[in-house]
Amino acid sequence: MLTASHLTRRFDDRVAVEDLSFALAPGEIFALLGPNGAGKTTTLRMMAGLITPSSGTVHIDGDLMQATSSRLRGRIGFLTEAPGLWDRLTVYDNLLVYARLQGVGADAIQRVLDLFGIGNRAGDQAAQLSKGLKQRVALARTLLHDPSIVLLDEPTAGLDPESAHETRALIVRLKNERRTVVISTHNLDEVERIADRVAVLRSRLIALDTPDALRSRLFGRRVSITVTEPAANYDAIVRATGATDVKTENHTLSVAVDGETPVAPAIVKALVDAGARIVSVIPEERTLEEVYLRLLKEDRR
Amino acid sequence: MRRVAALVAKDFAELRQSPGIFIPSLLTGLAAIFYPFVIAVIIPAVTGERLSDSSDFDIAKLFYQTEPSAPTLNPEAAIQAFIFQQTLALLVGLTTVTGGMSVAAHSIIGEKQARTLEPLLATPLKTRELLAAKVISAAIPGVLLTTACFVLYVVLIGLIAEPGVWRALLTPRSLGLVFLIGPLASLFGLQLAVCASSRVNDPRSAQQLGALVLIIPVGILQVAQFVGGVVLDTHILLAIGAVLTVCNLLVLRAAISLFDRESILIKWK
Repeated sequence: MLTASHLTRRFDDRVAVEDLSFALAPGEIFALLGPNGAGKTTTLRMMAGLITPSSGTVHIDGDLMQATSSRLRGRIGFLTEAPGLWDRLTVYDNLLVYARLQGVGADAIQRVLDLFGIGNRAGDQAAQLSKGLKQRVALARTLLHDPSIVLLDEPTAGLDPESAHETRALIVRLKNERRTVVISTHNLDEVERIADRVAVLRSRLIALDTPDALRSRLFGRRVSITVTEPAANYDAIVRATGATDVKTENHTLSVAVDGETPVAPAIVKALVDAGARIVSVIPEERTLEEVYLRLLKEDRR
Repeated sequence: MRRVAALVAKDFAELRQSPGIFIPSLLTGLAAIFYPFVIAVIIPAVTGERLSDSSDFDIAKLFYQTEPSAPTLNPEAAIQAFIFQQTLALLVGLTTVTGGMSVAAHSIIGEKQARTLEPLLATPLKTRELLAAKVISAAIPGVLLTTACFVLYVVLIGLIAEPGVWRALLTPRSLGLVFLIGPLASLFGLQLAVCASSRVNDPRSAQQLGALVLIIPVGILQVAQFVGGVVLDTHILLAIGAVLTVCNLLVLRAAISLFDRESILIKWK
């Protein structure tokens, strides 16, 4: 669907994006993460054909994306960082201009108005809308021409929790419709909920994988076992099963269950056999934020 | 063409919401209308001295040699007709330029400052379509304003000046000036302004450049006409029209090649 190959972009002496490669499939949500100035927006702009890579290429279904690729731009829906609505025009007129630019009819306007539940505000001037509503109108504009690739730069920035939730639901819906969705965001919780794969950038690619794979790679897999007695009483029992990485704190044992170490059921059995009264056994889930911070920290070294 | 029409319609819809943008141009047009009346009608009425009594207007005799309608006018009317015709270039130049320039200068920069340019550039809209739309959006109000001022000018001449003078304003020369040279000159200035608007980051710079290119020649032409250096006959107007057409084509090509989508997105803040 969309392939970025060795994308590099320099602005004078500064390298904004360096040697970035990835391939996206239909029905995939791909998240670009990184600190401010990491090259996320530049990457999106190169994908949208708005700026030209210093080297490297973007292909969409085999066609090379260039600044002059007017037809290819028609296959992309790009939600820019700012909603970019004409304040003096009504919501409907804003969408009408884009419908004409994209070559779609008035039925498409009604479709997106209904999709985003903004039909009742169609006659309002954009200047009168709240920030969240403006963002919804901008999203409606992005999907007006039914694009197969949707690029979203900070799609939920400034939205209230309910609107953000609705937007995330919409992004998942786009995925279910087999569209390729790329989001650039600082909202790690959002990425954790919806992204299939994550690329962490700091000009160059630091990591690219599924959130689970990144978690597993950085922190390993652990289980947290809570017992009624002090956890330290069972440290030796757990280690006797072959576990080497065991941490105890109050009533909780944290045990690495990766690779050659024993699996959780064997540890639980050993504890029960030793007379431990187990309250809970929970897989330890590192948040994406922890993964992200660790990746950046390791990259700094 | 569909995309150009869409953008032009959008620009007009925005202009309808802020008609105040044309107040300076309207005032300029009214001032340009008022000024020849001061010379041709008000001063003679106040001083009691007829224009035809003064040797200062011997130049108006040339008018008899160039205008077919002139021999039917008395000497005073012929001098008035001469003044009204010669100042027409100023009216057309100033009104058309100021009418469109404020719109044109804001065209690209305005979209950039309102942060509406990036979503626009992400559509299939081509550079030449964007530039064409912006020039058309600016030129049409300027031409309409000039036409309205010209109609008002002729009506006032009919009401206030010597009988028959208004007819001297409806010659091919005058109409060519208003409806051919005016729009062509306006187009030239506006293309330069839009061109500058896509390279600078301040609307005032674009406005000043576009206006400067037209207002200086119009001013020089005005002085040359009054001192007898230039008489704008039909042949000279056609020659100016041909030069302006060539200039417009050259500027159009330059505008398309100068317009740099990337610089506008990346460097402008």
